[in-house]
Amino acid sequence: MSFRDHDKKTFIADTCNDFTANRMTKRDFMRKMALAGVGFSAFGSAMLGGGRSNRAGLGLGVEEARAQDTDMLKWLADVGKPYAGTKIRYTSEATPPTIVANQLVAGEFTKATGIEVEVEIVPLEQVLAKATQDVQGQLGTYDVYYLDQSWMATFAQDVIDPREYYGQNKELAMPNFDWDDFSKPLVDGIAMYNGKQCGIPFDIPIFILMYRKDLFDKHNIALPTDLDAYLKAVQALTEAEKGNGIFGTACQAKSGHYSLECDWTFALWGHGGSIFNKDKKFVGNDERGVAGLKFYQELVKNSPPSATTWTWDGQGQALTQGQAAMAITWGEDFPGFDANDSKVKGLFEALPAPKEVPGRRAVADCGFNEIPAVGHQGGSTISLSQYSKNKEAAWLFMQWVCSKDVMARVSTLGGGASPMRNSSFTDPRVKAKAVVGPGTTRHFDAIKYTIDNQMGSEPDMPIWADLSNNDIPVELGKLLTGQDYGGDAKACLDAIAGIVDGKVKDAGL
Amino acid sequence: MEPSRVQMITRDVLAVLVVAIFMFPIAWWALSSVKPYSAIFDRSGPVYTGFTPTPDNYRVTLLGVSRVDIGMEQGGEAAGVIKGGASSYDSRQSLLDSAIIAVGSTALTLLLATLAAYCLSRMQFSGQQSFLFWILSQRFMPPIAIVIPVVFMFRDLGLRDTYTGLILVHSLINLPLAVLLLKSFFDDVPREVDEAALIDGATRWQTFRRVVVPMVKGGIAATAVLCFIFSWTEFLLSLFLTTSIRTVPVKISTFVTSTATEWGYITALGTSAIIPSFIFILLVQRHLVRGLTLGSLKE
Amino acid sequence: MSTATFTQEGSSWALPRFMTAEHPFPWLAPITVMLLVFGIYPLAYSVWLSFHKRNVVSRQLDFAGVHQWARAFSDTRMWHSLETTLIYTFVALAVQLALGILIALLLDTDRKGYGILRALMTLPLVVPPAVTGMMFLLMQDGSFGVLSFYLYALDLISPAQPILTQPVTALLAILLADIWQWTPFMVLIILAGLRALPKEPFEAAAIDGANGIQTFLRLTLPMLRKVIAVAVLIRGVDLFRIYDYVYIITAGGPGTATETLSFYAGRIYFTGDFPYAATLSLIVLVVLIAVSNVFVRLFKVRF
Repeated sequence: MSFRDHDKKTFIADTCNDFTANRMTKRDFMRKMALAGVGFSAFGSAMLGGGRSNRAGLGLGVEEARAQDTDMLKWLADVGKPYAGTKIRYTSEATPPTIVANQLVAGEFTKATGIEVEVEIVPLEQVLAKATQDVQGQLGTYDVYYLDQSWMATFAQDVIDPREYYGQNKELAMPNFDWDDFSKPLVDGIAMYNGKQCGIPFDIPIFILMYRKDLFDKHNIALPTDLDAYLKAVQALTEAEKGNGIFGTACQAKSGHYSLECDWTFALWGHGGSIFNKDKKFVGNDERGVAGLKFYQELVKNSPPSATTWTWDGQGQALTQGQAAMAITWGEDFPGFDANDSKVKGLFEALPAPKEVPGRRAVADCGFNEIPAVGHQGGSTISLSQYSKNKEAAWLFMQWVCSKDVMARVSTLGGGASPMRNSSFTDPRVKAKAVVGPGTTRHFDAIKYTIDNQMGSEPDMPIWADLSNNDIPVELGKLLTGQDYGGDAKACLDAIAGIVDGKVKDAGL
Repeated sequence: MEPSRVQMITRDVLAVLVVAIFMFPIAWWALSSVKPYSAIFDRSGPVYTGFTPTPDNYRVTLLGVSRVDIGMEQGGEAAGVIKGGASSYDSRQSLLDSAIIAVGSTALTLLLATLAAYCLSRMQFSGQQSFLFWILSQRFMPPIAIVIPVVFMFRDLGLRDTYTGLILVHSLINLPLAVLLLKSFFDDVPREVDEAALIDGATRWQTFRRVVVPMVKGGIAATAVLCFIFSWTEFLLSLFLTTSIRTVPVKISTFVTSTATEWGYITALGTSAIIPSFIFILLVQRHLVRGLTLGSLKE
Repeated sequence: MSTATFTQEGSSWALPRFMTAEHPFPWLAPITVMLLVFGIYPLAYSVWLSFHKRNVVSRQLDFAGVHQWARAFSDTRMWHSLETTLIYTFVALAVQLALGILIALLLDTDRKGYGILRALMTLPLVVPPAVTGMMFLLMQDGSFGVLSFYLYALDLISPAQPILTQPVTALLAILLADIWQWTPFMVLIILAGLRALPKEPFEAAAIDGANGIQTFLRLTLPMLRKVIAVAVLIRGVDLFRIYDYVYIITAGGPGTATETLSFYAGRIYFTGDFPYAATLSLIVLVVLIAVSNVFVRLFKVRF
């Protein structure tokens, strides 16, 4: 995500917050929103509570922004009364749902219930370290965890199954929460571990194809239909745009960082490989795995030279700055390209990632519930801690933040963040923003298709956080930066196989 | 042999040049903190002049001004001044947290270290050098290794996420150096001074409290400044031992998120964080230079 | 200060007997208690951890004998990070010492204005190391960093191989931050040593017609030997535990080229394998105790 896109989102969210908390006049509010480039009718409807029509006129929309889903707030005020004054804490990465929730919570949730929410925002690896520390010592520091899908198995025993909790605590169960509204593949891919739901899906960055239509037209290059063609297009674009300092693609290949592991699984799954076979042995070094990594080595060669120091942040910036022609990566970068101050506004188009070659490995042939498919997902859940001393208050917060009303606004206020709920995709307010401009949702078709048809999911295993954040990207980094393995993909993967199999055996999985 | 005029001028020029080189990163940092966004990220080359300085990064971090209001004043995003980010950038509470912890741990360190240093300077006992080495060896443990046990320990003692907890831990880090430094100051005071006071009927404590300590005031001030700086700048332990308390270095690290690195706020708060320590350094500059002999010239 | 002062207030200073004792015990007891509680406990806990193994499923710590130690000694990444740490420590120490001596000599004069220069020279010390890391990251950024820009302009670095993407230059990038921040510490200590030197031998040398370099090598350096030894010891210990700069500037990359032992321990800690993280940290501790003991003896360091 670019700086500027991000700026805008938080500016919008801040402004709304001030307005809903009655700190700003309507005139000021509208002026500020105009500054942020938000069309009034679109915005007015975005501020409406769930289930309302977007036929609301300009003035009405702004007025309605104060009210939100009044039924829900009323309900929260009722059941939240006994917990007024409680303070709940969670630690999270700065992702759109957290940003939007953080901005709205004071004016809506805390105002209704009197429950205070403190969000500790730190980089992802620190979220992991802090959560690990918390569960290991059963400190109860956090009432709610923000959990990346790759950690689910690690924390499964520390969290409460939200659906069970919902069923068991009728008096705290939010009416019309509508569990079936959450995309089923997302619930399965992100939240489920050994039949237990470990949290509510909260965020879904997912790999799609984003490409510069202008460059494809200029050089008369056909849109790739499979990954072989994709690589050829990348190479052709690097060659064609050499003089302009534009590269065919941009990778997130920082040594030892989880982002590199994400890129690698996309390349692996995209070549019909998988990380584990059904005997729980590492098979990323088989023929398909080697083809996948060789493919990725080529992508890195066709990226700007700093790509081996970039995570998703650097990659997103490179694309926004017009340094690269296309990438198969996080769809959440897309709205940033359409921001007013982006160098590539309106030039990018989104499609589902091209097909795997030669095809996809069957799920049954993989181990640890791995789902091999080209659309790598990096979703996360929001989960209720076993060790929390304020479970009831925390549970009310979780329901509020995952309600239809708030989640729809996460997609619009959060600047085109991909939705968890099916209802958000079809919501007219979300559809109204599917045009070139800040906070665009015009990539949602690609996202929806990817979630439903080609979503890849990493294995569920308790040591996956370790393997994916450390061993695998470290060895890949050695290969890509030429520190070791002499450019030999097979040798690198064999080394990874040794490490991974050793750790799996050692852990007795 | 008096140096010639040419030699003197050469020395002056060289000295200024060397200091200037060492000052450059800080100057660049401070300059960046008043730059608008576009000037920080100019790819065409370094920007020294030709931009309109803006106090906005300081207003947000130090005065808690909402960036929405700043966006309004400047005519919105067209002027490129709207900054984003998730957490609150108002860092006043962090400055207060850091100040409380740094002052508290400096006081505790000085209390313990002065007593020990005086004793180690004046009394002979077997194993004295070993004891000093043991104190110094407290610095050998990597901070990351201290984190794990101290987290559990603090949980049981109820010290996690408290000022007291961080004050204790920062004192622990500072004690070895403080004892070494203070001992060197006490070593500079001739033993005859103590003996005279003792003969006059003062007790050892009175001698310490009323005679020797006042004589090494400057040295204690210099040690205090170093302790203050090391506590003020500590990062890793503060990060893991707290949740609500956010010391300045920890606060700054939260400005680097996975979605954006807020260089404007980072440079502004970073520059502000340097100022208090630098003022203290100026105040005790003389003693600092005098003091860091660490007593090693003495046999 | 007269006797009367003491006898007058004698009663108000009537302290418990043990405080007035000549015995070191009361003087050293507070610090000892503090260090024992907060120093020994973490150490003991780490040692205990290093003989255990985490069961990832039950999350229990099971006794595992020397498993972690055997694992560490057969871990090529550990050896590589140890090597990197040693290179880092050695280079940083040598440069900081050499620069420290030169700059201290340069600034060691009572001429007007040098007091200010000395104070300015200490400025890098007050910057939080985490901020120093970011400072250099901003300056070394491949696209808009001021340092990168000048290095490109001088043709020392190619824009096709930005400073942080190559193993050697990335290590140099971290070293640069360390040298910038800690050379002033060396300058301070050596300046203090210079200022405490007796004047007579230098006057004698001047009369004998010794030139500046001779005086420095034959007089100044030998007399400063012990000051330098303590400075090297203190700095060396901190360098060997280097963490902040690596974490912020390169996070160990490219590959594992800049991964130091302390940073490797941190990485393992972040992934939750506390026993192995503790073992790696103890290796840092053991190496430091061994090396510094030899050093203290070799250079006859007295504190």
